[in-house]
Amino acid sequence: MISKKDFIKLNDWLWEIPKSFRADMRVPARAYVTEKMLEESFEDRSLKQLVNVSTLPGVINYSLAMPDMHEGYGFPIGGVAAMRIADGVISPGGVGYDINCGMRLLKSDYLEKDIKPHLENLAAEIQKEVPSGLGRGRQIKIDIQSIDRVLEGGARRLVEQGYGEKEDLENCESNGRFPQADVDNVSEHAKNRGRNQLGTLGSGNHFLEIQKIGEIFDEEIAKTFGLFRDQVVIMIHTGSRGLGHQIATDYIKIMMQAMQKYDIRLPDQELAACPINSREGKKYFSAMACGANYAWANRQMIAHYVRKAWKSILGEKASPLSALYDVAHNIAKIEKHKVGGKKIEVCLHRKGATRAFPPEHLEIPEKYRKVGQPVLIPGSMGTASYVLVGTREGEEAFFSTCHGAGRTMSRHAAIRRFPGKEVIRDLKEKGIIIKCRSFRGIAEEAPLAYKNIDDVVEIVHNAGLSKKVAKLVPLAVVKGE
Amino acid sequence: MKKYEILEHKADLKIRAFGKTKEELFLNMMLGMQESLQAEKRKEEAKREIKIESNDLNSLLVDFLSELNYLNETEKEVYNDIKFKEFSAVKIKGEVLGQKVESFEEDIKAVTYHSLDIHQKNGIWQATVLFDI
Repeated sequence: MISKKDFIKLNDWLWEIPKSFRADMRVPARAYVTEKMLEESFEDRSLKQLVNVSTLPGVINYSLAMPDMHEGYGFPIGGVAAMRIADGVISPGGVGYDINCGMRLLKSDYLEKDIKPHLENLAAEIQKEVPSGLGRGRQIKIDIQSIDRVLEGGARRLVEQGYGEKEDLENCESNGRFPQADVDNVSEHAKNRGRNQLGTLGSGNHFLEIQKIGEIFDEEIAKTFGLFRDQVVIMIHTGSRGLGHQIATDYIKIMMQAMQKYDIRLPDQELAACPINSREGKKYFSAMACGANYAWANRQMIAHYVRKAWKSILGEKASPLSALYDVAHNIAKIEKHKVGGKKIEVCLHRKGATRAFPPEHLEIPEKYRKVGQPVLIPGSMGTASYVLVGTREGEEAFFSTCHGAGRTMSRHAAIRRFPGKEVIRDLKEKGIIIKCRSFRGIAEEAPLAYKNIDDVVEIVHNAGLSKKVAKLVPLAVVKGE
Repeated sequence: MKKYEILEHKADLKIRAFGKTKEELFLNMMLGMQESLQAEKRKEEAKREIKIESNDLNSLLVDFLSELNYLNETEKEVYNDIKFKEFSAVKIKGEVLGQKVESFEEDIKAVTYHSLDIHQKNGIWQATVLFDI
């Protein structure tokens, strides 16, 4: 059992478990938390999982946990680990089942007062346009060849087909396409699961919100991002759906069987990993890239549906919704980072953690390059969300930051404690419109079942992993039809 | 003996199932999983052949449930019975029976190995599986 005495306090927001804590650790484990959050973290196995990650071959510097960490599979959610390419491993558990689960933010030119009279209709129309993928709503089944093109082309494929603008791709991590995708490494099962889910939101904590900019923390950067007070924006949170889940399932099985061959012994089966340069490692990376492309395409399609609803309610002449940014929070990428004074290529796992590149980084859109990469952090349902920006100090965490609030209560406990009707009433009292066909779905996502997003963001801000730019306040929460 | 119970878990769905035999254990875990989907059923019946081969009993259970998850999602069906034609610690052949589905309330992302446990106690098999939802 891990306890507080096993930690060294590095500062008010960073705690370290030294390598000496367990014989199999290769590097120290670090958690970006306050003392209070650290104490709360002992309630689940997230810290043990963080230590487990530090045992993976090739891990560089530290295994890291963001303040929204909680227990996951293999890696904790909120986990970050960089591996050397030469002798490091890649682990599907370090990406998660929902490959490229992530965020997209669309901004409008309107103020809250302009949209308020249309809000109810707009929320209803968005709900009607965007299927949840669980049965109701629009159902489209595409053939395997079309799926292959989406897996190869990502969001770009959809924009080519008219489901979006060129700017959507410019304002998207990796321009919405992972070039390493190889469809031959994705199973028929995975492709079949993807055939009728493109443009679907999914369930659980995935959501769509109409929000307004409630507070600006940095006027200059907000201006660069095109954000202003009381502006109406739309946030999309979803991932690669069944297709990504199946890729993860398939490769955890493949890697569990292959590990012996590479003499890799790990403390947890869900950490299953193979060398990055092995046949299995390369195959997983290219399949994961396909999953990531599907997720970018999924968010692109949803953005298209949202724009359709926007026009249908506000009129053809309404000024359009433009993309601020789209960023993943469950992904593995090959990136260059400074290690021991030298820039080297590493395989970076971010599971429930968001990339936050600093100013001047070449992989961020030119128009944001002076200030840094926009980072999109969703709060729990009905609470605030944030736009942050990447910083130079973020280097110590491989330019990674938090991804959301992080659960603190089980879904069942939430349902018992917060009946759906009461949650809806509370949201209504706050003036928030809610569109969801299941009371249970609402109760599960009750704001009090999560950590306080403001606390989480305060830590990454104070620790310097990313800086606050704007706080987003919900006007309407939409779960798909 | 109850068929299964839903255990407390912070983020996901944890099910413990029981059975006098391994076959019954697999069936009851399947029932726990299928009922958790809270499907709105249609009248049409559904029947699917399944064939699973794995390295050991733990993987067999995970692979079996993963296959059901795949069929639930792609065929839009939910199952309440299984006829085994073959059952060993590494192989299942059989037929799952159930109904077509209008919509699901719950979406299971994946069947995980996290805290996976299968053991026999006082002649009763029990298994615990965590589903990522």
